Amino acid sequence: MNIIFMAINLAFALLIAPVVDSFEMKIRARLQNRQGPSILQTWWDLIKLFKRPTVEPQDSVKSFYKLAPYVTFTAVLTAYLIVPTLLPSSINFIGDFIVVVYLLGLATLSFVIGAFSSGNAYAQIGSNREVSLFMSEELLLAFIVGTIAVIGKSLSFDQLFPLPLRISSVLALLLLLLVIYVASARLPFDIAEAEPEIIEGPLIEYSGKHLGLLEYSMFLKRLLLYSLLLNFILPVQNPTRLIGYLLGIMILSVIYSTFEAYYGRFRIDQAVKLMKKLSAVALVVWIIALVGW
Amino acid sequence: METQMLLIPVGILIIAAVVGLSKAKMALKIVSTLSAIASVVMIYIGVLGFRTTLELKYSLFNSSSLFATLNWLVFRVDSLSAFFLLLLGILSLCASVYGIKYMEKYLGKEDMRIYTFNYPIFLLTMYLVLICWNLLWFILFWELMSLFSQFLVAFEQSEEKAVKAAFKYFCMTKAGAEFLVLAVVLIILKATSFNADYSEIANILPAYLSAHPGMLYALTFALLIGFGVKAAMIPFHSWLPDAHPEAPSNVSALLSGIMIKLPIYMLLRFFISFFPLEPEIGLIIAVFGVLTLFFSMMYALLQEDSKRLLAFSSIDNIGYILLPMGAGIYFLANGDQLLGSVALAAALFHTMNHAFFKGLLFLTAGSVMYETGTRDLNYLGSLAKKMPLTAFAALIGSLAIAGMPPLNGFVSKWMIYISTLSSPATSLFGIIAIFISAVTLGAFVKYFTAIFTKPAVKEIDAKEVPLLMSAPQIVLALLCIAFGVYPFVPLKMISQALGSIGVPLASLVVYPSLVVPKTGGYSPIIVFAFLLVSTLIAFLLIPSKGSVVSTWKTGRSEDLNVSMPADAYYRDFKEAFNEVYLLGDASKDIVQKVTKIGKVLGTKFEVLSYDLDSMLSLAMILIVILVALLGGVSL
Repeated sequence: MNIIFMAINLAFALLIAPVVDSFEMKIRARLQNRQGPSILQTWWDLIKLFKRPTVEPQDSVKSFYKLAPYVTFTAVLTAYLIVPTLLPSSINFIGDFIVVVYLLGLATLSFVIGAFSSGNAYAQIGSNREVSLFMSEELLLAFIVGTIAVIGKSLSFDQLFPLPLRISSVLALLLLLLVIYVASARLPFDIAEAEPEIIEGPLIEYSGKHLGLLEYSMFLKRLLLYSLLLNFILPVQNPTRLIGYLLGIMILSVIYSTFEAYYGRFRIDQAVKLMKKLSAVALVVWIIALVGW
Repeated sequence: METQMLLIPVGILIIAAVVGLSKAKMALKIVSTLSAIASVVMIYIGVLGFRTTLELKYSLFNSSSLFATLNWLVFRVDSLSAFFLLLLGILSLCASVYGIKYMEKYLGKEDMRIYTFNYPIFLLTMYLVLICWNLLWFILFWELMSLFSQFLVAFEQSEEKAVKAAFKYFCMTKAGAEFLVLAVVLIILKATSFNADYSEIANILPAYLSAHPGMLYALTFALLIGFGVKAAMIPFHSWLPDAHPEAPSNVSALLSGIMIKLPIYMLLRFFISFFPLEPEIGLIIAVFGVLTLFFSMMYALLQEDSKRLLAFSSIDNIGYILLPMGAGIYFLANGDQLLGSVALAAALFHTMNHAFFKGLLFLTAGSVMYETGTRDLNYLGSLAKKMPLTAFAALIGSLAIAGMPPLNGFVSKWMIYISTLSSPATSLFGIIAIFISAVTLGAFVKYFTAIFTKPAVKEIDAKEVPLLMSAPQIVLALLCIAFGVYPFVPLKMISQALGSIGVPLASLVVYPSLVVPKTGGYSPIIVFAFLLVSTLIAFLLIPSKGSVVSTWKTGRSEDLNVSMPADAYYRDFKEAFNEVYLLGDASKDIVQKVTKIGKVLGTKFEVLSYDLDSMLSLAMILIVILVALLGGVSL
């Protein structure tokens, strides 16, 4: 029963993640008075990429370069065993909050190692920024994880979903909302891939199937983080959960793509400093949680 | 008969040291082989130690006078020493085999006897520290261990840096050991009435110290300094980043992998079985652990020397061991058996993990040095194509130390977070540990990519290292994977080891997962299997086969000549967290000023020492203070 639920959740994520991206493209287009592409456009793009051959740059370390996109993809996919999407899941022995955080770390790491292995100077600069941003983002995330652990007195999702309604939990989730935005490589935080300056950075040498896999994993990562946030809010065993979840995904998409449509890109140092300031805010939230509010 | 086994490594290593006195070229091979054999015996003893307690007793003087405490030389292996013996055995086996080829590089350049004589003696003293069961003998072996490891650090006599580093290391550990001597003398004289046997002390001391809190804190202070220096706990760490890189790489692997864990072993003995459990002591240790891991890793990020980066990360890992140890003592003292035992198990698990991956990483840094002759991360680059096996081993080591699932580093880090994060008192420690874990990832992305994947400044001539050097690396890498995917074997040993010092370990293992009830769960097997299977399926569905094309150079035909040296990594991050470095540098300045004052005072003292009268009166005052301390003034 539970395994079937898990399979459905996984299939849902695999199917819907690109659709969410097209949906966001559409919203951005509407905000800029454009028509926007079809809701399946991202899927068509991915299928096109998966049909194309790949290339291996001469200076690359081939084994790492070729393996990295696959590991990035499956690391994100593994996190879906732990975070339920469409249907609630009661399997909690596969992993907890920490495992999800580290699986996303594994995805980032393998992405970066692949880019460094491509032998291209722009990829090096881009991945370097990616790691800098990752480290500072993790400071904020660590405070959020700590705050949530103090509120729920646990790290296991069956204790944490949903969080009790308190000042500290609302503030912690607001911060989580921000971290998700940063972690999903959107404007103004797409610093690593900055197209105009360093020509897609880590992605510069990747093409065809590899590029498709990496983009697919980014869409999956975004949907995973949306689901994580929503799970903290939605009631677990309730028929309204399904509707709430789907509605929640749409609302988050609208919020995030609106932000994205109106911003230019940050410089990497601005982004790192912003993370540091937000971490100070998170420290205050953590103290509020300790007090018990 | 089985207990006589304990003497076999002693015999083999003494023979090895005697052989090592010869100047013949063969000596290196014989010494390395003998050390490897002794290591295998140590592993066997470690395995035996988990089944039964081995004990050997010798009455040396048959007198009950002054030497009464030294009279009994007792060797005893219980589960805790067996656990550390296993680590020592595995690591010294790898390091000894590795040394056969690696040390050949120095033949003719340096006096090989410094290595061939001191190396087996160094192994022997570490072994004796682990099996001895008497505090006075322990101090003796401990000091010998510092002495002989110091000679190994100074192996490259022609390098001024190495000799200086060895001297600094010796002075600091010697000063630390004086605190230990004081603590041991206090214990023997005041509490246990001339008894230094571990079992006796464990019987008498807890009750005595509960009645004398002043003595408890004085001893804690002395022990934390004494063992803290040896374990390189901040602020007593400054010898390590100098000493460990200067030693030959296989010795660095031993120094970082196991020698700095011996203070951890003794701290566990003292604070858990000899001392009453006090929450304050636990918190003090945890705070030192957090300071250690935070500052050392932030500084590791700056390093441009491969072995120096690894050395800073060794300090960081000591922090990751001290933090759960302190938290564990805190929880146990407060009556939380579950989290307490999980935290202590995390400390031991991380000790094991660090032995494996840091040993591995030092060996890979050694292989790179062997082929290229340099440790400069700015200069090195793109060695992965030329040294694929070493690159693979280094990648596994880097992934493991960054705590990536499903490798072994993740299991211990997960246990640390699970035990600390959800309790208010230790929550902040866990938060900082998560952040520093991300910084570790950054530092090891730098270590790995700077050596193996980034384009080199100029073409480097290198090839894969010989089998005798790559095999130990692969063995350690496989251990990192095996104990990450299947952590149940080491966890069983750890629960037995903790049981032998009186900590009941609530079973974590709910097959196929590790579960701490109501707090968290992690199933390494399922995560690993899913990662593997889904990667394979992705490979089958979307096979990637491509043609080789030249790297994109913005459309120009010649090379871009853009490359990122190691010092350019994470510049923005470093700038944003500049306060940390300012703080670190400020404290460095203070220490340097104190050293200067010490030097001035030292000179004044030397001048004074020519004056016999004042010297004598000073000595008398000191003796009076000492007598008062030891006898009259009750602490």
